[in-house]
Amino acid sequence: MKNTRVRPTGRERTFSEDELIVTKTDPRGSITYANDVFLRMSALHEEDALGQPHNLIRHPDMPRAVFKLLWDTLKDRREMFAYVVNLAADGAHYWVFAHVTPSYDDTGRVVGYHSNRRVPSRSAVTAADDLYRVLRAAESRHDRPQDAVAAGHAALQQILAERNRTYDELVWDLSAGGAR
Amino acid sequence: MRGIGVRPHRARRATGDSQTDEPLARDQAVRLVIEVCERAATGDMEARVPVLGGSEQAVRFRSAVNGLLDHVDAFVREAGAASAAAAEGRFHRRFLTQGLAGTFRAAAEQITHSNQVMSRTAAQFAEAARQRQALADDLESAVLTVSEQVATAATEMGRSANGLADFARVAVTDAERGLGTVSSLRSSSDEIRHAVDLINQVAAQTRLLALNATIEAARAGSAGRGFGVVANEVKNLANETSASSEQIMNQVNTVQQSAADAIGVLEAVTNRIREMSGLVEGIALAVDGGRHTDNAGLSQLAEVLRAEVSRFVTTIRES
Repeated sequence: MKNTRVRPTGRERTFSEDELIVTKTDPRGSITYANDVFLRMSALHEEDALGQPHNLIRHPDMPRAVFKLLWDTLKDRREMFAYVVNLAADGAHYWVFAHVTPSYDDTGRVVGYHSNRRVPSRSAVTAADDLYRVLRAAESRHDRPQDAVAAGHAALQQILAERNRTYDELVWDLSAGGAR
Repeated sequence: MRGIGVRPHRARRATGDSQTDEPLARDQAVRLVIEVCERAATGDMEARVPVLGGSEQAVRFRSAVNGLLDHVDAFVREAGAASAAAAEGRFHRRFLTQGLAGTFRAAAEQITHSNQVMSRTAAQFAEAARQRQALADDLESAVLTVSEQVATAATEMGRSANGLADFARVAVTDAERGLGTVSSLRSSSDEIRHAVDLINQVAAQTRLLALNATIEAARAGSAGRGFGVVANEVKNLANETSASSEQIMNQVNTVQQSAADAIGVLEAVTNRIREMSGLVEGIALAVDGGRHTDNAGLSQLAEVLRAEVSRFVTTIRES
């Protein structure tokens, strides 16, 4: 981890519809591969990214509960979709529609994780931003990280229950709204 | 693990000596790319080309190969995951086409289209299944109602038939008793006829006796005149008796004729009631079923129908 935390500048960076942001990590979440789009968007040199934990680009606006859900889903050997706002090394931020999947070897063992990020629609970003604000508010009432995660998770489950949707369905609802 | 692929590499900056070892570096770079391509060709999508050198060409070469691998990797992951999701009925999970171009995008759109068709088919199947369930529910409730009503009607009919049969039995008994009464009336009138015959004989003899007494009185002259009057009176009495007997016989004949008519009527009524009893037994048999035959009664038939439909409906619900 870096000692100096990057301060968000509020400047947003975007990438093109044709581009994919790609990273691979080992099973513990350390970056083993980052493509050129990732490095450009994150304002990182390759040597600054490789070997680092993936929360290198963690933005303080991201609720902890979403990452908890991400890791729970991956440990379950399932794919995970999420709208994520990332923080570049220069303080800019960028929204992505992330698709994270486990990578397997010939024997079916998980050898790492792979993340493809695509450009999200503006409407999806707005909706995700609103949702995360609610989750963040729930989390910010707790000092201990595990309490914050639990509170954020509970808030998410409540919202899903009210809308009678699973997390996956909600994510795809947002995606469908933007695609049309 | 081979010396390529997914572990961290220190990027080499372009330096002045790149000029001197360039042939060696180029051979090295080509070898690295070949290895990555060979691994990718065998389906290992984890391999990526490490830093090849600091020159612009080397950077672009690496970027191009890795970009190709990233897009193939993305397509393969999408194709697998989207198909798996469709197979599990998670049709909300679509094939992500962003970041894919050309044939990648065309194939992705084809897969998306196929998934939508599958989704519609699945929805149609679900709707057909729902309609079948609803039909099964309707059928079950209709048959249940009908079989309950048939069972109730059968019970009611059975009770009525039994009542009718009892009534017919009583009516036959009553008619037979009436027949007995009328028959005894006939035998009584036969006895009366015998008695009247006897009276007629007595009257005839009395008349003969009176005639003899009249003759004897005439022979006695005036002394026998009083006796002659008595004898004449006796004759008159005998004549009246005969006349009365005649009337009685006529009456008895009339009674006998009436009794014979009554017997005919009663016998006809009894036969009709016996026929009716047979019909009523037929109804009771149809309703309750034969005790020793294979005929099932109405109630049993309704129960069989209900059980069969219930089995049918259960099969439909499970299919």
